[in-house]
Amino acid sequence: MSQLANEMLAHTSKPAPVPALLVLADGTVWPGASCGAEGEAFGEVCFNTSLVGYVEVITDPSYAGQIVTMTYPQIGNYGVCLEDAQRNRTAATGMVVHDMCYTPSNWRSGESLPAFLVRNNIVGIEGVDTRALVRHIREVGAQQGVISTLDLDPKSLVAKIEAAPSLSDVNYVERVSCEAPYEYDASTVPASHAFALAAPAPERYHVVAYDCGMKDGILENLARVGCRVTVVPWDTPAEKVLAAHPDGVFLSNGPGDPDRVEGTYTQVEKLLGKVPVFGICLGHQMISKACGAQIEKLKFGHRGGNQPVMNLRTHRVEITSQNHGFGLLFDSLGPLVPELSGGASAPHADLRYWVEKGIAPVVHNDRFGRIQLTHVNLNDGTAEGIALLDVPAFSVQYHPEAQAGPTDAHYLFTAFTRLMDGRSDYLDIDIAADRLAGWNFGAAKEAAHA
Amino acid sequence: MPKRTDIKSILVIGSGPIVIGQACEFDYSGTQACKVLKEDGYRVILVNSNPATIMTDPQLADRTYVEPITAEFVERVIAKERPDALLPTLGGQTGLNTAVELAKNGALDKYGVEMIGCDLEAIERGEDRKLFNECMADLGIETARSGYAYSVDDALALVGKIGYPVVLRPSFTLGGAGGGIAHTEDELRLIVSQGLELSPAGEVLVEESIEGWKEYEMEVMRDKAGNGIIVCSIENFDAMGVHTGDSITVAPAQTLTDLEYQRMRVASLAILEKIGVETGGSNVQFAVNPRDGRLVVIEMNPRVSRSSALASKATGFPIAKAAAQLAVGYTLDEITNDITKATPACFEPSIDYCVVKVPRFAFEKFKGADDTLSTRMKAVGEVMAIGRTFEEALGKALRSMENKHEGLGADGQPFDEDRFDDLCSRPTAERVFYMGEALRRGRTPEEVSAQTGIDPFFVDRMADMVAVQEALRGHALADLDADAFWVAKRYGLSDPEIAYLTGSTELEVRARRKELGVVPVFKTVDTCAAEFPSGTAYHYKTYERGESEIARGSRPRIMILGAGPNRIGQGIEFDYCCVHASYALHDAGYETIMVNCNPETVSTDYDTSDKLYFEPLTFEDVMDIVDAEDPLGVVVTLGGQTPLKLARALQEAGVRIMGTQPDAIDLAEDRDEFAAVLDELGFTYPRAGMASTYEEACQVASDIGFPLLVRPSYVLGGRGMAIVYDRDQLETYMAEATRVSPDQPIYLDRFLESAVECDVDALCDGKEVYVGGVMEHIEMAGIHSGDSACCTPPFAFSDKIVAQLHDIISKLALRLGVVGLINLQAAIKDGAIYVIEANPRASRTVPFLSKATGVPLAKCAARIMAGEKIADLNLPSDTRRIEHFSVKEAVMPFGRFPGADTILGPEMKSTGEVMGVARTFPAAYAKTQMAISYNLPKPRNGYIFISVNDRDKRHIGSIAQDYLRLGFDLVATEGTARVLRALGIPVKTVRRVSQPSPNIGDMVANGEIALMINTPYGHDTRDDGYYLRLQAVRHGVTNITTLAPAQALASAMETARMGELPITALQDLPQVYL
Repeated sequence: MSQLANEMLAHTSKPAPVPALLVLADGTVWPGASCGAEGEAFGEVCFNTSLVGYVEVITDPSYAGQIVTMTYPQIGNYGVCLEDAQRNRTAATGMVVHDMCYTPSNWRSGESLPAFLVRNNIVGIEGVDTRALVRHIREVGAQQGVISTLDLDPKSLVAKIEAAPSLSDVNYVERVSCEAPYEYDASTVPASHAFALAAPAPERYHVVAYDCGMKDGILENLARVGCRVTVVPWDTPAEKVLAAHPDGVFLSNGPGDPDRVEGTYTQVEKLLGKVPVFGICLGHQMISKACGAQIEKLKFGHRGGNQPVMNLRTHRVEITSQNHGFGLLFDSLGPLVPELSGGASAPHADLRYWVEKGIAPVVHNDRFGRIQLTHVNLNDGTAEGIALLDVPAFSVQYHPEAQAGPTDAHYLFTAFTRLMDGRSDYLDIDIAADRLAGWNFGAAKEAAHA
Repeated sequence: MPKRTDIKSILVIGSGPIVIGQACEFDYSGTQACKVLKEDGYRVILVNSNPATIMTDPQLADRTYVEPITAEFVERVIAKERPDALLPTLGGQTGLNTAVELAKNGALDKYGVEMIGCDLEAIERGEDRKLFNECMADLGIETARSGYAYSVDDALALVGKIGYPVVLRPSFTLGGAGGGIAHTEDELRLIVSQGLELSPAGEVLVEESIEGWKEYEMEVMRDKAGNGIIVCSIENFDAMGVHTGDSITVAPAQTLTDLEYQRMRVASLAILEKIGVETGGSNVQFAVNPRDGRLVVIEMNPRVSRSSALASKATGFPIAKAAAQLAVGYTLDEITNDITKATPACFEPSIDYCVVKVPRFAFEKFKGADDTLSTRMKAVGEVMAIGRTFEEALGKALRSMENKHEGLGADGQPFDEDRFDDLCSRPTAERVFYMGEALRRGRTPEEVSAQTGIDPFFVDRMADMVAVQEALRGHALADLDADAFWVAKRYGLSDPEIAYLTGSTELEVRARRKELGVVPVFKTVDTCAAEFPSGTAYHYKTYERGESEIARGSRPRIMILGAGPNRIGQGIEFDYCCVHASYALHDAGYETIMVNCNPETVSTDYDTSDKLYFEPLTFEDVMDIVDAEDPLGVVVTLGGQTPLKLARALQEAGVRIMGTQPDAIDLAEDRDEFAAVLDELGFTYPRAGMASTYEEACQVASDIGFPLLVRPSYVLGGRGMAIVYDRDQLETYMAEATRVSPDQPIYLDRFLESAVECDVDALCDGKEVYVGGVMEHIEMAGIHSGDSACCTPPFAFSDKIVAQLHDIISKLALRLGVVGLINLQAAIKDGAIYVIEANPRASRTVPFLSKATGVPLAKCAARIMAGEKIADLNLPSDTRRIEHFSVKEAVMPFGRFPGADTILGPEMKSTGEVMGVARTFPAAYAKTQMAISYNLPKPRNGYIFISVNDRDKRHIGSIAQDYLRLGFDLVATEGTARVLRALGIPVKTVRRVSQPSPNIGDMVANGEIALMINTPYGHDTRDDGYYLRLQAVRHGVTNITTLAPAQALASAMETARMGELPITALQDLPQVYL
């Protein structure tokens, strides 16, 4: 920056610019200025298209080993409310934005986002043409990169990327999972959400949750539908879980390549059929792996708050929050059962075929029997949810707890309680009827319920 | 579920004339709907009285009725066309109200017409505050505490519980008309009594004030399977208290956390479900307490709206188009995303830019009106701007306004020092500039935020913009390096602002900037933040050291400059011309590139042109696009003054101007040169002079005599024009004019008292001239042509006069060198034709004339500009006889400006127009009156009040006789009554307003007057007549201020009395399809 340019910025809300570089493994260079911790951060560069919710995104443990690019260009506008964070420890290594806000405005904000990044040692870069970056990733696919405020030599940075481990080399789950079990219940939900969310339902269930990098938002949702949750490390033996006689077992989201998480899915295999199981995101992949399915790596993943998903059982579309780079290959679960699949026996890689037919197809799995495809992504026809018909278990690839994102799929938490109640129609819930469940719209309603 | 096959034909109701609160956004929605329904194979029947709309183009629907949007006329269309279904949600409040009336009076049942897209109960639950509040209570969603008043006493009782201030909203009025905020009992009494009269239900909602809270809008769509999506969230820059149509607004929401946003989202969807909006688009408005996040729903509109048009432009998601598809049975997941062409429409757009909308006002037109913005909408237009940051978008929006501002205030525009503090805090059209200036003068963002209630987020961004500007001030242009330019541009500074701050010129800045390689890139609006590829060329400009996304096509490119924000004098008519040019040039094999910044229009629909650039119409922004696209030429003569003003500069920058050249435009604009042309051609024109002081003006007056038409030398829509009859009036005028613009001389023309005026539009290819038609004005000379009713073909002109007019316009067009359109205004007095002015460009009357004659003049003009000859276009002879009369009548916005005088004059005041078509002139005229006021006055409505000035007293007799014959009783003030009695006409005398009660004012207030004929004298704005005219507006009594329309209205009533006025579809009249 020239002297005049620095003078021009001197009386703005921004600090004096510190140069930073984002470099991708393919050698492309994206210059900008530091807007977080100084240092050098390596990770797979991905992008999230949510317009709001950067706090929830950057604190989501599933981003471990990743550098997150926000596509909305001005980030940090409403600051940071710490109770919106999804974990008290951040896992993403870096953040890329077009323009960072240093003077946020919101009544719950405790600090600015750049201050938060510094405090949590997340390297940030602003001033990047994030749209061009997204278009680039869209074309060439996800790849490793580095943000550096220390080394501004692209060649040296590319060499460092090559030396750094790639996403699939590391078991990030092991790094982000809790070390010892802990309890979460109605008393633990964030106090500052009370203005918007109703008080938790009375406690009726005890759930053991495998923490593969669990978002606090999931725990909050489980607690709000009446669950007391015992959170256990990712590789807790099934026997130990079953010994606690929980009403249900929950499998959390988490980072990285699911093939690396053998420690969880081998236990899931032992749990299925013995206790009701619900999985979200990586948890969905864990159930799939336990069934012997294949998982594919998506070209650039689904990350954002606007992914349309069709529920094949109710034929309703849910707008969902998503964050995953790997996905289940539904057909690898087993051959179609024609009499339960509208007579079809030939698989279809693009699952939107079933959307058009209005059928929720069923395959026969050699380990757990009949498995139904319940949810399909309408943008690209990938699998978004399955239900095991002979065993009490279901899972979705997306995030019904939202945080950040739309809450259309909140009904799945209710569905889990119905599964634990032993209902066979547990999944058949009208999203409109569930729409306002758990929300608080102010004094009028509280008074009415008082 | 695929589309319904049990319905074959669909009736679509438009929104009628452009009025404040219901503008051309409904042409945009209606056009989208008609197009998609027709593509889907439905027979589309359309009713819309507004001729300046694209939707009323005969190709857009199968049957197009330019008829009044009243239950009576629409029922007649139903009886004739027998549609299977009625789609009422695309024509604004007017369309919806008419549909409700048809449902309630049984007409829909009678003809077996199904209402689709919305049902009656849902409309009522959405619009009736009481039902709405009950629904919200059921959901547990808060509304502001409130109650209904049916009298002032009711209101006072409610305030006892709620406390001041309270918001007052009359039920069922358009755009919040008649509403307001009362802080005191006096204010309460005034607003409630007015509101009770304005509300068709005689009902006013009294509501807890949430002034100062943050305001949001959610644009929601729902299909019949129950899928719901949020298309866009919008945050108002102005806090609660300013009507959202009058607020600067920003998309997406900027200061809400995810938790707050998602709560608003589920509430929006639940509200649609509860209200029972089965399919379509709706808008839900919320207020959020910035101190504790308390959420209150304000209202919802179960139809497409101004905000949905904005949301469509802001996101690329075509709400109206989707709403039409959902209404015929599709579900959201069955509709393909129009932009990506690959993903479904059942998703929520993600945008990677910031959108700012700024309203455009016209207070300068309405002297005496309060310029404080309130819950009653007053804006006449708006601009939208897209940038990668709020700062960039705000800078763009503010320089798009056509009000001399070049951005956020670094342009030397003066401030009113006496009222500076007041204007920094009170919401007015100019407040954003005063806020910027206050920050410049050292006020802190916290102070500015506290004074205005505007969220600190926005004020902080503005403070950054000002900080960057101030750091630049005083530097020489040569000091600026590339980095400095990048910073300036990213903070929204325009080249003219940089020029102002560095003491250089815009051209120097541009040259230096380009030399340093600081040029913008163009990004794409794609609904998905680049997650998926998009083939739709909808672009905006930004300063980013990155990637530009535009690809030049292989066809030759022509750029069309649009008309910018709607304002009085420049409205939808020019957008119509630009859209037609784009259609015609596309069909002729060109790649068309549209540039415009008005979100309400059809021109800024991404599928109107091959490419759309949503950008300000300034030299800088247009040239940046020219640099990127290198077009064959630029069309500047179809978008009114906005692009015309740029013509010279563009040409000097080496851009090829299509059609009529800037030299010809200047020749027609320059009075002396134009007079020389008229002398050369042997045409007469009113004598004229020019003066800069009162003394000079007196000299001119004594040379050419009173009365005089006086005006500033450079005007749009007759701004600052007046007629003066004596020296006193001249002195007052000169004093005012020299105060407003000291450097501009004043033109003084001999005013042709009681002459008849006319407009003529013609095409010229440089060799041949084709006269589109002659339009005879109803009002006598002295009323701005945009405010005057007119009729084509002329009903009272001799063939000789018409032939002479053809001759004059032909010779003028050829002499000026017109290639394209030319408009001639002439006055006829005592058989002689006086040329008043010629404009070598598309005029306001082009759409009307095209509809009236079936010849698409703007399309022809575009083809001529691209090199075709008139002879190639196969047009019917321009001397053919047209067998029907078409009348255009202007629609006035006086109801929105309490306090402003309603008298018509040489300064244009109307916002829109309606058209009536019939076999006779009176029948066509009658239709226009019904299209505006929904009904002609009837004897049972009360007396005809007559009070005319001395000049008109001799002519009033025969008009009074006519009304008597129609069964009316007459009342008159003393002078007029004496004249009428002398002529043997029975009349009751009534006291003037200034005399003690009971006087005429009381009669108006008591609803005893059906019609007022009140012709004023001179320019005095504070006389008796003024108060009476205000009273008329307040009570919705038609008030005629010149004799000619009084005569025409009497003939119209006579015709209407003789039986039903027949209805005609445009498709049954002769049409030329290019």
